[in-house]
Amino acid sequence: MSELAIRRGAAPALAIAGLGYSYPRAGAPALADVSLEISPGEFVLLAGRSASGKSTLLKAACGLVPHFHGGEVSGSVAVAGLDAIESGPGELASVVGYVAQDPETQVVSTTVAAEIALPLEMRGDSAPSSARAVEEVALALAIPHLLDRTVDSLSGGELQRVALAAALVTRPRLVLLDEPTSQLDPVAGDELIWLLRRLNEEWGVAVLLAEHRLERCLAAADRVVAMDAAAVVFDGSPGAFLAWAHEAEPALSTPASRLFSLAGVAPLPVGVRAARTLLEADGRRPRAPEVRAGREQPGPGTSQPALRARGVWVELSRDDESHDVLRGLDVSVARGERVALMGRNGAGKSTLLKSAAGLIEPVRGKLEAPAGIALLTQNPSDYLVRERVGDELPGAAGLAALRVVGLEHAVDADPRDLSGGERQRLALAIALAGQMEGEALPGLVALDEPTRGMDRTRKDELVALIGRLAERGAGVVVATHDVEFAAAFAERVVLLGDGAAIAAGPAREVLSGGWYFATEVARVLDLPGVITPEQGAAALREEAR
Amino acid sequence: MRSPFAYVPRPRPLQAASPGAAVAYLGALVAVAFLYSSPPVLFAVGFAAALAGRLAGAGGAVRSAVRLGLAIALPIVIVNVLVVDRGETVLARLGEWPLLGQVDVTAEALADGAVFGLRAVVVMIAFAVYSSCVDPDRVLRALRPLAGRSALTATLVSRLVPVAAADAGRLRDAARLRGPGAAEAGRAPLARRLLAGSLDRAVDVAATLELRGYGLGPSARRRGQRRLPRSRFDRRFHLAAALVLAAAIAGKLAGADGFDAYPTVTVGLGASTVALAALVAASGLAPLRWPPARRQPRPVAPAPAPPPRGPAAAAPPTAADVETANV
Repeated sequence: MSELAIRRGAAPALAIAGLGYSYPRAGAPALADVSLEISPGEFVLLAGRSASGKSTLLKAACGLVPHFHGGEVSGSVAVAGLDAIESGPGELASVVGYVAQDPETQVVSTTVAAEIALPLEMRGDSAPSSARAVEEVALALAIPHLLDRTVDSLSGGELQRVALAAALVTRPRLVLLDEPTSQLDPVAGDELIWLLRRLNEEWGVAVLLAEHRLERCLAAADRVVAMDAAAVVFDGSPGAFLAWAHEAEPALSTPASRLFSLAGVAPLPVGVRAARTLLEADGRRPRAPEVRAGREQPGPGTSQPALRARGVWVELSRDDESHDVLRGLDVSVARGERVALMGRNGAGKSTLLKSAAGLIEPVRGKLEAPAGIALLTQNPSDYLVRERVGDELPGAAGLAALRVVGLEHAVDADPRDLSGGERQRLALAIALAGQMEGEALPGLVALDEPTRGMDRTRKDELVALIGRLAERGAGVVVATHDVEFAAAFAERVVLLGDGAAIAAGPAREVLSGGWYFATEVARVLDLPGVITPEQGAAALREEAR
Repeated sequence: MRSPFAYVPRPRPLQAASPGAAVAYLGALVAVAFLYSSPPVLFAVGFAAALAGRLAGAGGAVRSAVRLGLAIALPIVIVNVLVVDRGETVLARLGEWPLLGQVDVTAEALADGAVFGLRAVVVMIAFAVYSSCVDPDRVLRALRPLAGRSALTATLVSRLVPVAAADAGRLRDAARLRGPGAAEAGRAPLARRLLAGSLDRAVDVAATLELRGYGLGPSARRRGQRRLPRSRFDRRFHLAAALVLAAAIAGKLAGADGFDAYPTVTVGLGASTVALAALVAASGLAPLRWPPARRQPRPVAPAPAPPPRGPAAAAPPTAADVETANV
């Protein structure tokens, strides 16, 4: 097909027919008879549980599968008329852009400007056209101020935008994104989704976006494709998808759709705006329930402190300069309490947890975890350095820790053979080992962003584990960007902003009183103290009476 | 955590210069350090490199380089003192050592080792200034048409080094966070884990390079190959490099490298050595950023007469008019 035809959009942005693929030495296929067509300018959301084949499908659409990963492939993949199985990722680079989950490994240059210009340079564009393209894509993504910065001085959100700019600078027909918001706070995540929608509308770029947090992007999508066990199991409109998910795969349904389904309201809403419109059309004006904010029952054993921070200042160096990351922070957590630590990227959540664990020394103030702390950092794999679970956790102390996280059966397993959730629990057991007196846990268990890349089933398992830890007397603090997850496990939320606590209170109060740091149900109903689908449905039923 | 030697863009002449000019300038200093053993000249080279770094805003990199250089220099001095048995001024007799035999510490071997160590420190400072002030992207872009595969390897390494450093920092943190009942992480398992992680990272970075079009043949790149933009500071650095090298060669011919460690230490301090050291030290001022010269305000001209009307108004300016305007 001629380049002109490709540019004019005569061919579908993506056409996949009967695609089957197996990674080298893999037992089961990663893709099985997948057929899918995306029209130019369409915004398609790719849904599915972990390991359902979403990432492999995206890699097949940009040529990394099979060209980079090898393996056996059958069927056909065409991107804007180019055969992706014949052409390599380099040839496809001018028609397809790809943004992966971890922005750190997606940058290869030292400065932002060089990173964005690299694909154009590789393609052989002239200097003036390259400079113009870099300037335009930087303006479109609101990052012209970053062009002269080095990539290692950027935050996760900024780095993700730079990766997106490098993917878009060649003006591709199709852009593929693999959970691009998983490391972003709610503000940056929402900004990225709506930025994609704007580019999709203004530039006509087709978007194929894989995400777990569907409530964040369903309203922006034209169409949803769901995958399960390496195959496409649903392909239709967002509204039809919610109806299908309600019946066939409840783990993929959104909080607003669960709210409507529990309250018996139909049809299921695609987003906050649709939900409000439907409720207004239905004449529903729910009232706040009896359990009001501020009346939250305290957790067990609240008199014993698990974490005490008084006037804590922490200074870290960045770009040859020192910055105050925590500024006179006051916060306390009691044993048995479940607390969500929230805030924007760079607000100081991880720094607080690392300081409490003794990895960073505060420059001023008092910070202590009097009954000990077990901290699980953002990458559980960092804790796993041996080839056998029993070698990581030897003896009675190790077995006791494995029992706490429910992994006593896996003593002889290789940590690499465990599932993602099991690896996370093993890493937690490593942090807990030897800190328990008998079966009693250390005073504080802290988890830093534990839900990155997790589907809802695994999040529910983690909620249950947190509940068990708190019941056994540990104060549990979880730094998270996931508002829905925080609503599911937390009794109390501490919201950090620029190194200080800007809001702290019962989860029902904090997560229903804002816009970005509020659950989808809270944004739909706008009722104080109502943050989960169950609470919202109760309020709607109450109103119906 | 960022390495103290990592490149930081700053609006300074050394960073603005094209990579060729910056490499020529710093390379000339390194060349003098290898050509000469004279301590005054080596000190002058070190001073010039440190001053250049300071003027380029890389004072932190220079300090780190001095610390690292001294850590390397010390073992050099010790080994030289223990291994070399020449020199007339015996400072200490350490008796018979296995493999080394009779070990005598001489002032000459100490001075000789110190000169080797000084050279290591000086070269380390120059490399630190290069690393923190010369944009690696521009260097790689300049290298790409000449040696594509080497440039690819260098790109991968330059990206993987900071990523591996960050990984190592995380692994160290995780090792400290292991409970007392867990097996100790240990250096070997940690190193294995870091290596495995680095390989995974390398695969990810290589995939990104593929997606950016690195797999395209060199023809596509050559089509768009462009000359790297020159900087107005290039001439200054080329000139400084040429002056330093010319003076070094002339000094060598004039006997400015007056240093002998054995049998007794002699350091030449003749006029040629002093002149060379002064010139080399002064070359450290090359990255100095002086304020732009202010122009004299023009005398206020009388108000122009109203433009003529009619056909004369549309006549194009003559060459004499243009010349007058340009004066």
